[in-house]
Amino acid sequence: MPGMRSGLNLDNPVLAAAFRSALLHQGFAALLIFAVLALAWAAIREWRLGGAGGNLGSPARGLVVAGREPAWRMVLRVGFGIIWIFDGLLQAQPAMVVGLPSRVIQPTAAASPPWVRQLVNWAGTSWSYHPVQSATAAVWIQVGIGCWLLAARRGQWSRLAGLVSLGWGLVVWVFGESFGGIFAPGLTWLFGAPGAAGFYCVAGALIALPQRYWRAPWLGRGVLAALGLFFTGMAVLQAWPGRGFWQGRLHDRPGTLTGMIQSMSHTPQPGFLAGWVRGFGSFTAAHGFAVNLFAVVALALIGTTLLISAARPAVPTGHRQLLLVRLAVIGAVLLCLADWVLVEDFGIFGGLGTDPNSMIPMALVLVAGYLAVVPAAVRAPAAKTAGAMTAADAVPGPQVPVTAGTSGEPQLEAAEPDTAEPDTAEPDTAEPAPPAGWSRAWRGRLSPRRLAGAFGAADARTVAAIWALGVTIIGAFPLAAAAASRSADPIIAQAIAGSAATLNFQAPPFRLTDQYGRPVSLAGLHGKVVLLTFLDPVCTSDCPLIAQEFREADQVLGGNARNVALVAIVANPLYRAVAYTRAFDRQEHLTGLPNWHYLTGTLPQLQRVWHAYGITAQLTPGGGMIGHNDVAYVIDASGRTRTELDFNPGPGTTSTKSSFAVELSDAAERAMRQS
Amino acid sequence: MSSRSRLASRAAIAVAAIVIAGCGNRPAASGQHLAATSAARPSLATVVGGAGGASWAIAELGGSSASHDNFWELFVRPAGAARWKLDTPPGVADNGGLVAADPGGRSLVTGFRPSQGLTFSPLAVTADDGASWSPGTPVSPGLANVPDALAAGPGGRLIALSLGGRAQLGTRPGAAWRTLTSEQALAAAPAGKACGLTGLTAAAFAADGSPLLAGACSHPGIAGIFALRGGSWQPTGPALPAAQAGRSVTVLGLATAGSRTTALLVAGTGPATSILAAWSTDGGSRWSLSPQYRAAAAALSVSFGTGGSAAIVLTGDHGVALAGPGNSWRPLPALPAGTAALAVGPAGRLDALAASGRRFSDWRLGPGSTAWSQAQVIHVAIPYGSSG
Repeated sequence: MPGMRSGLNLDNPVLAAAFRSALLHQGFAALLIFAVLALAWAAIREWRLGGAGGNLGSPARGLVVAGREPAWRMVLRVGFGIIWIFDGLLQAQPAMVVGLPSRVIQPTAAASPPWVRQLVNWAGTSWSYHPVQSATAAVWIQVGIGCWLLAARRGQWSRLAGLVSLGWGLVVWVFGESFGGIFAPGLTWLFGAPGAAGFYCVAGALIALPQRYWRAPWLGRGVLAALGLFFTGMAVLQAWPGRGFWQGRLHDRPGTLTGMIQSMSHTPQPGFLAGWVRGFGSFTAAHGFAVNLFAVVALALIGTTLLISAARPAVPTGHRQLLLVRLAVIGAVLLCLADWVLVEDFGIFGGLGTDPNSMIPMALVLVAGYLAVVPAAVRAPAAKTAGAMTAADAVPGPQVPVTAGTSGEPQLEAAEPDTAEPDTAEPDTAEPAPPAGWSRAWRGRLSPRRLAGAFGAADARTVAAIWALGVTIIGAFPLAAAAASRSADPIIAQAIAGSAATLNFQAPPFRLTDQYGRPVSLAGLHGKVVLLTFLDPVCTSDCPLIAQEFREADQVLGGNARNVALVAIVANPLYRAVAYTRAFDRQEHLTGLPNWHYLTGTLPQLQRVWHAYGITAQLTPGGGMIGHNDVAYVIDASGRTRTELDFNPGPGTTSTKSSFAVELSDAAERAMRQS
Repeated sequence: MSSRSRLASRAAIAVAAIVIAGCGNRPAASGQHLAATSAARPSLATVVGGAGGASWAIAELGGSSASHDNFWELFVRPAGAARWKLDTPPGVADNGGLVAADPGGRSLVTGFRPSQGLTFSPLAVTADDGASWSPGTPVSPGLANVPDALAAGPGGRLIALSLGGRAQLGTRPGAAWRTLTSEQALAAAPAGKACGLTGLTAAAFAADGSPLLAGACSHPGIAGIFALRGGSWQPTGPALPAAQAGRSVTVLGLATAGSRTTALLVAGTGPATSILAAWSTDGGSRWSLSPQYRAAAAALSVSFGTGGSAAIVLTGDHGVALAGPGNSWRPLPALPAGTAALAVGPAGRLDALAASGRRFSDWRLGPGSTAWSQAQVIHVAIPYGSSG
């Protein structure tokens, strides 16, 4: 995947400093938003209290909603809120700037089919073109979504948080996890299939459900049925012969599972944990069949139990009926935790962990499914015994209307004490019909007075949710802007070759011969900005890249390119004939570029120019190429040297070439303004 | 839900589970590799010249080619000298390989194969046994990855086999190249069709100065050697004995020294491989053939010597040599480790040239001797890291 690599070291100090600076900058922006929101909220409340005799008015649609949130939803919302924040903090590792495409995305996609790799490559390339913006965006988007989920308990703000979580989860699942590897061979539950972000999406979708479905009896059963189907499928896949899971060792090599565990044990991590993982790896190597048999049986048992429980006509009401599903969920969670520790190695050690892997999210969805399927009537005694029930739990309220014909369990829903919110509290249905016309209604809703009133009437959690939305936007907006740009950030070039040096002196003159045999002099280019470099026409590495960067700079300059001359002077004392400059031009597709001049001359002529511009061109024995400086000068229209750029092109990836081109074109445009 | 519909729904779920499982079910990578069965093509390591002038050896030294730390080096043994010396032309990185053509006398034309961003082939020319080099006209596209991709003829004429199967002619030093033909065009011509030409592998000039091209034929029993005569390509390959009638033939190497053109042919693949030499002194009209040598090994490098002699390095530290027309193939004692090429010297003397890291070694096998003795070691200053 050519676009993925930036070729930079993970700990590149320039990028690390820029990343830190961007994080701080956007962090201040987040704090500022918080301060402005808090002040505005307090001020409006003060003003409304003072001006309206203490009446804050009715809460706006979606800002304040009555009714308790069911336990399953709270588990998902809080659990995934914390995970998103944790993921955001993991994204703040300095190595993520360079490493995410090459160390995370690319290896994940390597085994996937070409169409997946192509799709993923697009995202990886986009990241490597704008590494600092992308890395910063990932931090703030994920922290923002996490805070938003934690802050917004109910109503449209909360549902919207679920939707955003679903959307960003999809982005991560598709581009970051290559669809969780489901199209790659070797798919297995043990290694985290179908990807952590897949569960983020499931959780986001469940959180985004309208409130009227919160206690729908099919919901929990549906979740458990889906999980049962998933576990059963994974058991079949795990048992499938010929995939290397039944053998601890295969032809004197580690089996598939043993190899995975052993590789995890070699990652940097606390000693005790490495010991556990190594021990389990040795055990698997010795008893591969037994380990896989256990995994297959456990997955199959959990899957079938969940399927059977979900397929029952009614939700189990008694403890005996409940026991089966409870055991299945407990077993599944324990299996998830064991896999998380012994196989996934907590998902964050060694290299660039972006999330705690799939087992914790999977366990959260399992628990949420269990809580959704088990009626509060059954849970309540235990909760009360533990003293966990609050006064609000006991508040009786109207029943949630459940159509007996569709659910078949109206009495169960009626028995729930925490169905406190009346149907009228549902924001989707509570809003009266707009008086006249859709647009007029929305104009009314969005009027400053109405918005201010709603904002003032909102509770602190809603204000926090609005702030979290702001944090998410802080991340998303620069990311979208960066993705829309076709040119790479010049900071990549600076990270490779350092910053440009500002100069101001008369450029040494030269008069040489171009690739068509015509004389060209610096004086003859007066009135144009000259981008000057020195290239060896038979160079195998840097010079072709520099030429491509010059050509790309010409494209970036667009209409301004007509005021710019791209000049290269031969930097090889032997291979300096016009035949070679022409061959080089053909090689680099420069023959059609009207402002491209590749100049050569006699050796004394060239040596004079090299000396004047500080160029050394040395022969290397033993089949090496000419050693010469990689440098570019920007000479303004009046013939003064304005900028010197170290033009060592680095690895020559698409992103580095684009970055150097942007840096060069920026310098040319500065010189135009200075002329 | 009735028990019947419940049963149906469970069956559907089970089927769905199996389908889901099957979606990702492909064998995990097991690290197994299929053995390559195609006939091996000789490397660029070779020895050229020696016809009354200097001998030139090409060998790959240094480190990993993946990290561009391999460097191809040229060594010269001037006429009458006993020792080799390093003489790689300066100014171009040669990680992609070197090919050389001997126009005779003290001259040599060396081509640099493409590598990394360099897609054409610079040429370096010497007329004084490598004491000085000057650039020749570059070949674009770059030279093909075969040891006989460059051929030198009378009057400074050159033939270059380029990437993409193009054959080009340089009519005189410094002149632009003009296209002779292409692999596709030759394969479509009657001569190429008759042989089922699948690729060009060597170029040479016949003793009469006409360009010769050679390749691999898919039709069995036909040696694909073609001469440009009267503006069209004529088949001029030797007729092979009946024993080779059912085997496809590839020309491993083609060289003309003086009035004699020598071709090295390989017939068949795998354990049934036979190697033959063919000689012609009239531009390919008539050929004499050597006895076949049954080689259950692939050719790693081919070299030509004076008087139609030739030597081949085979896999498994094996080597064979042939003194010229009328002689049989001589299996050689186990070659020294790392032997890259064999040099056929006068009076039946053989040199095994071994290359490893920075070290180039010359091992000699005198006439009648049964063991190699080390005659010379050259430590080369490899410019590691200079092409990265």
